[in-house]
Amino acid sequence: MPLKKVVTRTIYYGVIIFYVITIVYPIFLMTVTSLKPTREIFQNPYGFPETLYLNNYVELMVKANFGTYFINSILIVLISLLIIVMFSAPAAFVFARYSSRLNRFFYIYFLAGLVIPIRLGTISLLKMFVSMGLNDHIISLILINIAVGIPLGVFILTDFIKMIPRDLFDAARMDGCSEPGVFMRIVFPLLRPAIAALAIVIFIPIWNDFWFPLILIKSDSMKTIPLATALLFGQYNTNFGLVFAALSMASVPIVIFYLIFSKFFTKGLLQGAIKG
Amino acid sequence: METQPSTPKPKLFIVYFLLPALCIYTIFFFVPIIDSIRLSFYDANGLIVKEFVGWGNFKKLFTVYPFKERLINAFTNNIEFFLIVTFIQNFIGFLIAYLITRRMWGANTVRKISFLPTTLSVIVVGFLFSKLIFNPVFGVLDRILEAVGLEFLIHAWLGDPATALPVLAVVISWQFMGETILFYTAAIDNIPQEIVEAAKIDGANQLQMIRYIVVPYIMPVIMIVTIIIFIGDFTQFDIVYAMATSQGNPVYATDLFGSLFYRAAFTVPARGGWGIGMGAAVSTVMSLVVFIGLAGWMVFFKSKKKVDY
Amino acid sequence: MKRYFKNVVLFCTICFVSISMITIGGHALAGTTLTFTSWRTDDTDGMNRVLAIYNKANPGVTVKFTPVADTEYDAQLMSSLQTGTGADIIFLRSFSSGRAVYDGGFLHVLDKEITALKDFPSSAKKAWSTDDGKTYGVPIFGVTHGIYYHKDTFKKYNLKAPGTWDEFIKVCQTLKKNGEKVLAQGAMDEWTLYEVVYSGLGANFYGGEKSRQALMAGKMKLTDKPFVEAFKRIDDLQPFLPRGYQGLDYVSMQQMFSAGRAVMFIGGSWEIGLFRSLGVTDIGWFPPPVKNKGDQLSYCFHVDAGIGINKKTKNYPEAIKFLKWTATPEYAQLVMKEVPGFYAYTPGNFKLDDDLAKAMISAAQGADITIRTTWEKLSDQTPSGNSLMNEALIKMLTDKLTPEQAAAYVQKGLSWYKP
Repeated sequence: MPLKKVVTRTIYYGVIIFYVITIVYPIFLMTVTSLKPTREIFQNPYGFPETLYLNNYVELMVKANFGTYFINSILIVLISLLIIVMFSAPAAFVFARYSSRLNRFFYIYFLAGLVIPIRLGTISLLKMFVSMGLNDHIISLILINIAVGIPLGVFILTDFIKMIPRDLFDAARMDGCSEPGVFMRIVFPLLRPAIAALAIVIFIPIWNDFWFPLILIKSDSMKTIPLATALLFGQYNTNFGLVFAALSMASVPIVIFYLIFSKFFTKGLLQGAIKG
Repeated sequence: METQPSTPKPKLFIVYFLLPALCIYTIFFFVPIIDSIRLSFYDANGLIVKEFVGWGNFKKLFTVYPFKERLINAFTNNIEFFLIVTFIQNFIGFLIAYLITRRMWGANTVRKISFLPTTLSVIVVGFLFSKLIFNPVFGVLDRILEAVGLEFLIHAWLGDPATALPVLAVVISWQFMGETILFYTAAIDNIPQEIVEAAKIDGANQLQMIRYIVVPYIMPVIMIVTIIIFIGDFTQFDIVYAMATSQGNPVYATDLFGSLFYRAAFTVPARGGWGIGMGAAVSTVMSLVVFIGLAGWMVFFKSKKKVDY
Repeated sequence: MKRYFKNVVLFCTICFVSISMITIGGHALAGTTLTFTSWRTDDTDGMNRVLAIYNKANPGVTVKFTPVADTEYDAQLMSSLQTGTGADIIFLRSFSSGRAVYDGGFLHVLDKEITALKDFPSSAKKAWSTDDGKTYGVPIFGVTHGIYYHKDTFKKYNLKAPGTWDEFIKVCQTLKKNGEKVLAQGAMDEWTLYEVVYSGLGANFYGGEKSRQALMAGKMKLTDKPFVEAFKRIDDLQPFLPRGYQGLDYVSMQQMFSAGRAVMFIGGSWEIGLFRSLGVTDIGWFPPPVKNKGDQLSYCFHVDAGIGINKKTKNYPEAIKFLKWTATPEYAQLVMKEVPGFYAYTPGNFKLDDDLAKAMISAAQGADITIRTTWEKLSDQTPSGNSLMNEALIKMLTDKLTPEQAAAYVQKGLSWYKP
């Protein structure tokens, strides 16, 4: 029995350690590569750098204008998130409180947005933004992100509001609160954890979106981090140190964000999908 | 007079509450998808729609060389891609999830780490793997194989049409495995302890446990994961762009619906562009596949669920 | 509730105003900025040095070079033009690709404004002109194709730059026997096989410019013996390609050669600047080997790039002024100095500093000058001759097609072409 246990334990940890190495090593490799001069990358591709070489990052900020792209990406994420919450919370309130046939229909209509990929509407979106004069502007990306985010927002928040005890609403109503008042004073403050979960789940796809920036954004001042990274790869393709600094820079904020919030994160993602 | 405070009657404010979300969602999500389908019935010069051609674009797409060949190629590639990703993610993902739900040292850290790649951009992951791992000159993989004495396995991973697509599928699986593991661990955690204990008392071994308790219990989650993979894979573009350019190198071996759509709609003819009308037709076929696939998966898993419970 | 929506409106306004201020602010600071797009990402530094001179001489105008990776350039350009947001000044590929941009209605006609155009050689001008003589692009440069090698390694094995194909193969064999990696050539970025290897080295076997003209006139087919022989010769090179060549991309090829990991590299003149910047010192160059000793060299001196003006540009006067400058000998001389390997069509006498660049231009003397095989006319429609050649060559070098089948594959795909 003990021998069997030792064997199974060894296999167990062997598998887990191998798995962890395959996950961590490529990310480690990317970071480490960004800290080497290009020449060293070709001579010594897989180990630690001989000396810490930060020039790639300096060059990235100075030569490749990465600061602007950062600001753009952050603006897009923040504005999209705020509007998604502002628009989907009231809608979720209605869905949670009133179940008329029409409301159920709208609810399903929103839910369709959870499974249908927006990329199928690319050509029409492009045409629309061109005629509105909004293409090549981050506003177009924000609008798309909002449209994609609203279904998830409505879904997660509706679920959450349904869990709020009815007594709370009743008490507020007794005190002479109107329905919108109930929403503003009772529901909205309670929504904080749900909003946090929503924000965390939506943050990643918005930050990482590549397709729509590639189609819509052309001028340098409007580029987002993933688009700039991809184009940089073509532009400085012989300067490996620089491009891997760019890749690392594109990943760092999101990895830090994830590590800080990973607890909420798990909750949010599960709520978003499992109950569907 | 508030007679029934808990179920108040609908009022005008409902309209205000619903309208903003409804408008944005309809204008920038629903209408574009429908409108893109409409555009596939037009001949277009750039973005300027010229004339209605009925089924003309589709006739061309399904019968004329090279449109037909590219479409069929993208379709079969996409199916292969989807099958490989589904297999790897579900199988290995389940295995890892099952292992890290045992109460053992370090399981929580592994849970946290497993999701790390999913947070990265597909573009980043694609470049990382194509330039640093699979590259024939300075890729690390070949050197590791050399170091452990497996030289015979060294291969032009991204250059051989036979291995390029599976490699892309493996990379995507690597990235999104975290999501699968997250779902599976949560689902396995939720299995009531009584059931597990009862099975143990009945003397079920590990395999029987998986077969009769775990898998049936998490079936709905398997369905969700598979649908997520399906939608992601049939609109996948970023990984092809990053690892095999939008041409789907080598010789369209890694061409998927997403990259075909991009090339057809947005490139000049000399480099594989077909014009916006034809591009819209490709996008419509892609929509059709996604919708039919979605419906199919739902029905398939619904029936499966009934049998198992 | 009222307060809530007031807040929403207020918030949205603030956001939108701040975004637009950021972008408008950016523009106001810079004065007039002309964006200049190209597929020549390797030349960014050189072009910036050229443009700095113009920017200095023309205060208030900043020309900004914003290249896009070669493989994605056409898609990016087309979609940006279709959405009315393209760069002001645009690099145009010769013939079909550039023509597609003009046919889309995205370019200004230049003849009237840029009078210097009439002195350009017609062989270059026709690459950016319609049949009725409207020119929409200023020919900027042509490029040549040949073979780079490491002089030191050649010296080590006592080898000389080969003149004929047999000598070339012998050199390859010697190197291989001595355990050297022979050619830094890959098949991942398929265009290198057709644009550089087949067009560059094959021309000597398919009969150069005469056969290319005959092909366009419908008098010859790709399945004719000379063209098939060119396919066969390229196929001969397969044993000398590095391990994993199927997955070797263009950038890795360049790195492999410049790091000394392979002895030869079949490339184009546009790579001189890159190799120089990577600090490779012992590079030599020889033209595509001919079939028999004493044969005339069929030299692929490709009409490569022109530049045009976006019809939707908001800065037309500035753009046309800049384009006029690009048609001057001053610009031509500057580019040839800063970005060696590009040969201007601007009439005038120019000084070349770079030895490799000199060697390449002197090979053109007395040679039969031609351009890439299916570039003109044969790539006007889908499937284009260019993509067919790409596909056929990659299939041939991965042993999916024999040379004969590869030729037939292209010919079959070109059935839409009517001379």
